[in-house]
Amino acid sequence: MSGQAARAPRGAAPGTTQALQSALAAEHAAIYGYGVIGAHLAGSSLATATADWVAHQNARDELEAMLRAGGSQPEPAAVAYRLPISVRTAGQAVSLAALIEDRIATAYLGLVAVSTPSVRQLGALQLRAAALRAAFWRGSTVAFPGLTAAALTAPGRGPAPDHEASQR
Amino acid sequence: MAADPTRRVVIAVAALLPLAAVSGCGGVDVLGHPPSPAPDVGLLRAAIAAEELMIARYDAVLRGGGSLTAALDPLLAEHRAHLTQLRSRLIVPAGSASPSPSVRPQGTPSPPAGPAAAVAYLRDAEQGAAAGLLGWLPHAPASLAQLFASISASEATHVPVLDAAAGNLTGQAGG
Repeated sequence: MSGQAARAPRGAAPGTTQALQSALAAEHAAIYGYGVIGAHLAGSSLATATADWVAHQNARDELEAMLRAGGSQPEPAAVAYRLPISVRTAGQAVSLAALIEDRIATAYLGLVAVSTPSVRQLGALQLRAAALRAAFWRGSTVAFPGLTAAALTAPGRGPAPDHEASQR
Repeated sequence: MAADPTRRVVIAVAALLPLAAVSGCGGVDVLGHPPSPAPDVGLLRAAIAAEELMIARYDAVLRGGGSLTAALDPLLAEHRAHLTQLRSRLIVPAGSASPSPSVRPQGTPSPPAGPAAAVAYLRDAEQGAAAGLLGWLPHAPASLAQLFASISASEATHVPVLDAAAGNLTGQAGG
């Protein structure tokens, strides 16, 4: 994140802008990651990855529009991101896709914690979309998409949004 | 001129009455009434009841036996995890009213006969439960809203699994 201060959207609860910027940072990283993923896939897997890549671009655009509507400047994407795993095979690309979606789900849980109803609803819908994509890539479901183990063992504390990948 | 002692007592009691009226309580009765549960306790109880009903539906379908066990067991395990987590969030003050964990007891579900119909029944139930949790989000505090959203997302991911199970049943019938 840069040091530039972001203004809260008009009429929004405190923390909304920060949550939107965190989700946007995760989307920037996901778009980068899917570019790497697509380079290692073919056939129907590539088609799915391409569709997911477009979905993340649309989500990024929506977050940026929300921030601008509230008078805030969306944080730009980094030039490159350090991936959480190295990708040299199709199997590793699929693992990366599942990992990215897990982190996107966690990022959107930050929006669910915001009290502004429209922002909370957006967070829940994008969390569901990320959970569905993660389940596809992983080939199995999880009981608590987006929630960390720490959040599950400490009621009353929401998970801290986890940015997708550190900027290089 | 000495004041009438009886009249003094009446005046003192009358002076206290507005306080009791403002408090909305019946004097010492305030000590006798148990505290009301917080509003989110009602949401939690409703979510617990919905999860209990979902588990009962899976149990009822699985009691029918057949080839669905492998597909349904992992989903049922996740629902049991949901229920455990929801119950862990239910902290009711000692002595408060309505200590029962659920909104109301549910009858034993009666899934339709046949594996394909049973899978469709569970699929509809998952969709309904996921939508129900999303409907409660505006009324939930942040932490509970996150749990509801996560469980709703989990239930949404069960739908394609059940679709795949239904597809396998069709393939078996066709093959």
